[in-house]
Amino acid sequence: MFLALKEMARAKTRFGLLVAAIALLVFLILFQQSLQNGLITGFVGAIRNQNAPVLVYSVDGQRVIQGSVITPELDAEVRSADGIGEVGLLGQGTFTGAPSGVAADSFDTTILGYELGPDGRGLGAPTELSAGRYPTSDFEAVASTGGDDEFAVGDTVVLQPGGFEVEVVGLADDVQLNVSATLFTSYDTWSGAVRSVNPDAGEPLPNVMLAAPAEGVTPDELVDSINAQSLDLDALTREDAASETPGVAQVQQSFQLIFLLYALVVPCVTGLFFLIVTFQKANSLTLLRAIGAPARRLVSALMIQVVIMITGGLVVGTALYFPLSQARLGGLSLRFETGAVIFWSVLLLTLGVASALVAARRVLRIDPIEATTGAGVGV
Amino acid sequence: MNLALKELRRRPGRFATATVIITLIAILLMFLGSLLDGLIRSSTGAIRAQDVDAIVYSPAAQASFARSRIEPDVRARIEALPGVDEVGGLGVVQLGARVPGNGPRDLANIALFGYEIAPEGVPEPPTDGQAYADEVLEADGIEEGMTILVGPARTPVEVIGFVSDTSFNGQGGLWASEATWRTTLGDNRPDAQLADGVWQSLVVRGEADIAGQIDDATGGATDSYTVDDAVNAIPGVEEQQGTFNQIIGVTIAVALVVIGLFFALLTVERVNLYGVLKALGAKSLTIFGGLMVQAVVVTLVASTVAGLLVVLLDVAIPPGSIPIAVSAGSILSSTALLLLAAAVGCSFSLRRVLKVDPASAIGTTS
Repeated sequence: MFLALKEMARAKTRFGLLVAAIALLVFLILFQQSLQNGLITGFVGAIRNQNAPVLVYSVDGQRVIQGSVITPELDAEVRSADGIGEVGLLGQGTFTGAPSGVAADSFDTTILGYELGPDGRGLGAPTELSAGRYPTSDFEAVASTGGDDEFAVGDTVVLQPGGFEVEVVGLADDVQLNVSATLFTSYDTWSGAVRSVNPDAGEPLPNVMLAAPAEGVTPDELVDSINAQSLDLDALTREDAASETPGVAQVQQSFQLIFLLYALVVPCVTGLFFLIVTFQKANSLTLLRAIGAPARRLVSALMIQVVIMITGGLVVGTALYFPLSQARLGGLSLRFETGAVIFWSVLLLTLGVASALVAARRVLRIDPIEATTGAGVGV
Repeated sequence: MNLALKELRRRPGRFATATVIITLIAILLMFLGSLLDGLIRSSTGAIRAQDVDAIVYSPAAQASFARSRIEPDVRARIEALPGVDEVGGLGVVQLGARVPGNGPRDLANIALFGYEIAPEGVPEPPTDGQAYADEVLEADGIEEGMTILVGPARTPVEVIGFVSDTSFNGQGGLWASEATWRTTLGDNRPDAQLADGVWQSLVVRGEADIAGQIDDATGGATDSYTVDDAVNAIPGVEEQQGTFNQIIGVTIAVALVVIGLFFALLTVERVNLYGVLKALGAKSLTIFGGLMVQAVVVTLVASTVAGLLVVLLDVAIPPGSIPIAVSAGSILSSTALLLLAAAVGCSFSLRRVLKVDPASAIGTTS
């Protein structure tokens, strides 16, 4: 141990470079993990964190809320499905909203209109609020938090053009849709908003139906029952609706491939470094073996260095990641992913140690007698 | 130089690990670049294809077709401007389309455009009820001569040919006449229908700086962009580019550190040999040149292997999953960046090479 630490203290640049390389890789992995989670929450948080267990799209919508249209015929099919309990309507549109009513301050604003119910917690409401209260009447809304653009309780959002007004009475975390500021308001308010910005618009139809199963029926059973009603209906559980929104699966697949490559690079870099260092120390290691140092001690010293280097890289990488994870990137709110830090730390440490086993094998193969012949670690 | 190349030829195993690592990094870089290209290409093709000098939206639309409406009187004011040569309407509706032969729930994602001025690569507007389809829709089973049913109203549209690189928001472009677009919009999205003469946007040909002139002339009733600005104004485009470029930049830095580390260690390992070479008259720059050649060759080999693997990956990935667009440009630019990183990384060894004392050849230390 003493030998391992002494060597590291004397070759700071060499070991520092390795720590820097690992730290950069760890930083990249963790940053991209936050980016992935932030992207997915920004895209579909409003679906994932609303209270309806089942969402029913029209097949034409291709699982995009705004692309789906529920005709009166489809509405009737859903309501007559076996196992259905409560049913609600959901309308969605993207508008240009100004929190202060000043057009220059305006930004993309998604409005989700649902049937409020007596306390504002009808199907489609955010599952929990971070501030304020649920809307209980038209022209009131709960707004999403996070992103560059957000509203505050008490803001009057003015939609452009037309000047339609909605007052923010509550806030909820992680309920953005399409990475834009999102307002949860009454169905009639949404309908009025659509007409206000497009005087040519006909009567807006609901985009999605929201459903809760009757007592004793599971959401999965209700999904099957609704889908059996018509080939034009596409019912999904809340979790499936979030994960199968177009783009979400592609984002996850892309990031998984990137993570896999990074996960391969870290042990390769570590393994290469210690293999080369072992080659360089061949003569010294042979000499140490010749004067009686057990192979186990030399391997232990190597492994101690590996663990210290990777741990150092993990600590520095996480330290670089921490301030960035508190930031906002475009419309995305990043967050410190403790689970990801633990997962990647364990994985990279394990892979790094495993990769150094090649160097350890070389050390174990050293024959002390070669101290007299000059040969050391064989290639 | 010869010595360096000979070593590479005779002892390739010595460089294998570094080559594998740089190959992995090169795959990462090329994959990231191709992913960015694919995302941007599938989101912006329809706008990039516009062969005009300005795209005009309404002021509160934030460059979104769905939120924009241009009244006929605004169009008339634009047409009357002296710097304007030609004005055309442009509108889009994004829907699912039923394709003959596909399952009842297996719809193609389409973005049906109504247009008056033909974009680059797209013929003049076809007869009502017909459309040119983007070739990405072939992956959904759409063929020339086929009639697809668009939207919940099952509006029939006959595909009479294919065009390329005209996707919009990840959906394949379908290019049709004004009447076809208005019918499809009104039948399928009554909340978004527009009165006759009202367009979502206008495309304008004229003087190079016509966009600014239009906004001045309409007194704020329009929000005009050049084609490049309109592409960047599509929500998410700039953010995607910025984020990916940062990730690519840090990955290059990692490559630089890895290459620097490898050649620094290789140099340390061969210090005695360099002492002998110097004692025999070899110059420091010759030795360093040899190292540089090795770094460049290793990087070129790694980049070539990575390029081939990324092309294979592109072929293996099923259409509609990961949106990557592998191009020679992205492979070559990644290779160039890696070569630069190799040169910079390798130069860390220069100081050590310069420090080698030829006298060490006859001693025991260097």
